[in-house]
Amino acid sequence: MKQISTLDYLKMNGWNKFLYNLKCFFCAIPHHLLNLVKKIGNFFKRLGLGIWANLKDLWLTFKNGKWQTKLSFLIMGFGSIWYGQPLRGVLFLLFEIVFVLYMGMAGAHWLSKFDNLGDAAGHKVETEWGEGWVNGDDSFKILMYGLLTIIFIIALVYTWRLQIKQCRINEEIMANGKKVKSGKDDLKSLLDDQYHKTLLALPLTGIAVFTVFPIIFMILVAFTNYDASHDGHGVLFTWQGFKNFGEIINFSNGESVVSMAFGEILVWTLIWAFFATFTNYFLGMFVAMMINKKGIQFKKGFRTILVMTIAIPQFISLLYISNMFSETGFISKLLQDLGIISENLHLFDDKANPHLTRAWIIIVNIWIGIPYLMLIATGILMNIPADLYESAKIDGASGIQQFGKITLPYMLFVTGPYLLTSFTGNLNNFNVIYLLTGGTPTNAELSGASGSVGYTDILITWLFKITQGTDSKYYLASVVGIMIFIVVSVLSLIVYNVMPSNRNEGDFS
Amino acid sequence: MKKTRKIVALVIALVMVFALGVTILTACDNSNTLIWVSESDGVADLTLQQIERFNETWEGEFKIKAKIQGVSEADSATQVLTDVESAPDIYCFAQDQTARLQEAAALSAPGSTAQTKIEAENDASAVTAVKVGGKVVCYPLTSDNGYFMFYDKRVITDSVDKTDLAALVAACEAAKKNFCMETSTSAWYVASFFFGAGCVSTWTTDTSGKFVSVNDTFNSDLGVIAMRGMQQLVKSSCHVSSSDADQFSSGAAIVVTGTWGIDAAVKAIGAENVGYAELPSYTVDGKAYHMGSFSGNKLMGVKPQTDTAKAQAMHALAQYLTSKECQLERFEKFGWGPSNLEAQADDAVKNDPALTALAAQNVHAIPQGQIHGSWWDVAKVLGQNAYDADKDDVTALQEGLKKYADKLDDMLKMTPEEMRAWTVIGSIGGTSWDTDLEMIEGPDNVWTSKDAFDIDDSTAFKIRQGKGWDCQVGANNALNDGGSGDIKLEQFEGLAAGKYYIKVTFTVNDAGNITAANVELVAA
Repeated sequence: MKQISTLDYLKMNGWNKFLYNLKCFFCAIPHHLLNLVKKIGNFFKRLGLGIWANLKDLWLTFKNGKWQTKLSFLIMGFGSIWYGQPLRGVLFLLFEIVFVLYMGMAGAHWLSKFDNLGDAAGHKVETEWGEGWVNGDDSFKILMYGLLTIIFIIALVYTWRLQIKQCRINEEIMANGKKVKSGKDDLKSLLDDQYHKTLLALPLTGIAVFTVFPIIFMILVAFTNYDASHDGHGVLFTWQGFKNFGEIINFSNGESVVSMAFGEILVWTLIWAFFATFTNYFLGMFVAMMINKKGIQFKKGFRTILVMTIAIPQFISLLYISNMFSETGFISKLLQDLGIISENLHLFDDKANPHLTRAWIIIVNIWIGIPYLMLIATGILMNIPADLYESAKIDGASGIQQFGKITLPYMLFVTGPYLLTSFTGNLNNFNVIYLLTGGTPTNAELSGASGSVGYTDILITWLFKITQGTDSKYYLASVVGIMIFIVVSVLSLIVYNVMPSNRNEGDFS
Repeated sequence: MKKTRKIVALVIALVMVFALGVTILTACDNSNTLIWVSESDGVADLTLQQIERFNETWEGEFKIKAKIQGVSEADSATQVLTDVESAPDIYCFAQDQTARLQEAAALSAPGSTAQTKIEAENDASAVTAVKVGGKVVCYPLTSDNGYFMFYDKRVITDSVDKTDLAALVAACEAAKKNFCMETSTSAWYVASFFFGAGCVSTWTTDTSGKFVSVNDTFNSDLGVIAMRGMQQLVKSSCHVSSSDADQFSSGAAIVVTGTWGIDAAVKAIGAENVGYAELPSYTVDGKAYHMGSFSGNKLMGVKPQTDTAKAQAMHALAQYLTSKECQLERFEKFGWGPSNLEAQADDAVKNDPALTALAAQNVHAIPQGQIHGSWWDVAKVLGQNAYDADKDDVTALQEGLKKYADKLDDMLKMTPEEMRAWTVIGSIGGTSWDTDLEMIEGPDNVWTSKDAFDIDDSTAFKIRQGKGWDCQVGANNALNDGGSGDIKLEQFEGLAAGKYYIKVTFTVNDAGNITAANVELVAA
């Protein structure tokens, strides 16, 4: 793709310029993708090198270390105690004892069953009074506790590596004749320069237990067949490998209804996110510019009214709007009385025209999103120096040219990242879709897929519906969740790298 | 860092820990039983009183300290199924979930004496509702979950023919009021047109609650008649798809719903204006078909317990809470129609207008037996098809019915693996020709049974493929011969009774077809 000189570029007329820019954009995409792949490759290379360096370090420590260090390989904390750090040493030792006790009592049991998630489930037994219950394996518990055991083992390996390193460092310090940090020093520093560690310990534990661990667990569920009929308690579930992913991206031997549903919903999700983001963005900008114009009175009044709508929670306003436009709602009656329609308004029951419902959702979303965008836009617009506009007007630029050459590039530069987060947020905009229509009108073609699929369902509302009811397929929901993550992250990475915001910072300062 | 800031930060962290501690403490209490009942006002209190009486009657034998939570019967089964182990000991649910609960081992069947008692004392629809695979698995609570017609007496006056669907629709259109019947969110109401025309849709389960087959005649000429009848309603401008009795306050003249809507209807237009009647008949090609319905029940289930003493107590309590005395109490307080035959014969019950209408409709009702969970979504599409097709366009309606029948086939279809899997079936391993025992495929067309079985002279079995009898191996390696005898121990030379794995080696020709089989017993 030949780069033409700046002078030639300026000589081209508008249409040719546009074609040239388009060609540049598409030619640059493989280049960006290659960069992305290179970055990922570099990451793995560094990871591999890091592990290799650690292993080498371990070997050298063992070979060159004193007998105390060598013993520390077996009894954690021995080296620390010997070298005058009793507090750390005792803590390491305690950790190892707790680990051994746990593995002996429960860990080995959970780990042994982890490979096939249980052999024999519990079952009922007949007694005179009715059926009793005999406990057996519970796949859910095995998955959960097995995962915890694996994490515990990883923590142990990390701590073990840590204390080996400390032994080596202590050896070097003592060889240099300096004093090793004592327990009192440690405690004092925890309250002083390491205070952040003290305070963050509890929140980090909380996040690890209540957020990170459940996420890992849910990701693992995607590789099992955990659903309502295999709940792990009465009927065991087991590993399925990548079969579930195959089911959802089924391109061969007859499309399964689940993969059809996934494809259709994905297309509508992308369309919805695109329209929801950009209509809000541009219309919000226009409203801000209009309110900003000289000659408009009550500027503050308009802005206050629009801002007040942000204060009302989306839940309430969306449910209320949904009610207003329902079959027997206020708008339906009004339109009938005015004679505009002859029978009840069908917007989100099964008699509705799905395209009308989709358009209506986008319009209601505009109504919700404009005030917020207007706020942002007002703040940014006020920052553009006014003399730019004056000089443009003197040079004879029309309103549209001013907008296209001054306002828009500036806005796009400042709110580029915001647009991206807004787009990915709309890809997962559960509230608007679910509260307004609940995904209806139902799509009859896809009625075999889990969770009665509707024409206005996006991936996340479909995921929610799959988990409801008594035929819920948790593994399918988990797979859809992972697919959403892949879609969102791929889009984000590409757009973020292509955006000018993180390249031409100099131009706009 | 300055000292004050450090202390403030530490205090905030401690407050967080304290809040966590408080939430944990509030979860502790000293009850020994958890019971879920309907969340309507007063039900929990009444249940507590009934448990008190139970404790007094069984003083010395059982003492139940119950914690009662109000959970709607429509949701309780779903919530129980989410985590059976921490489910309540006794819970009330709507009977469409019985098969699912049985499949998830969440129901403890009562003992045989209790089972006979239940069958003798309750009406036919209740007995059908509590049975899965022919066995009673829970206790019936009410028999009033069917639906019938509520109407506004001011609009549907006595001059309107309440037995004719077309007349009712015309009356609603004339008064510009709505006729509410739910046809789009679930198939529960749609089925009434089909039952009226004489179609059936019966599902069979095995004893573990798994659905094995369906007898469905919706896809037929009678089904087309039902669809045409449905079109008379759904294509009218006055039709609204809803079963919410609240619709009376937004301009409905007729709502098809059940006894749970009585309160809302009375609140909307006043008790003197609410009328109850059985469903009307629709006329197609001059013939009248009375709309059918599902008759439903609320049931009480007991969770299987590991502790036998507690299991005994729970079953005794469930039996008491569903006895005639308690059912009549609930009728007096909340208007719930009892399932107990003696309670139904009580005068107060016989004179209740809503229950009378329900009884009149129940003559045409089909007891809602166990129905596959996905059927509701698949069948509700028929309502949409009736609306989309042109009036009386038989071809389009038939297409809709055909698609429905295809979806039903898909629901019961076996996976390709299941269809080519060989299984052992017979009176072996504690089963009696009713369970396919799994076999595992090995290399070179060898299939071995997953478990070892005790085989003696009384054991008899066959090996079959795809849970059907088209491909089977019988006595003396007879292949695909339906008339062949069963495989027995005596056919294996020199083998004594004992524990064996069953192994079969198939000879496969170049075209991939099985030409011979060789059955062996491998000592465990």
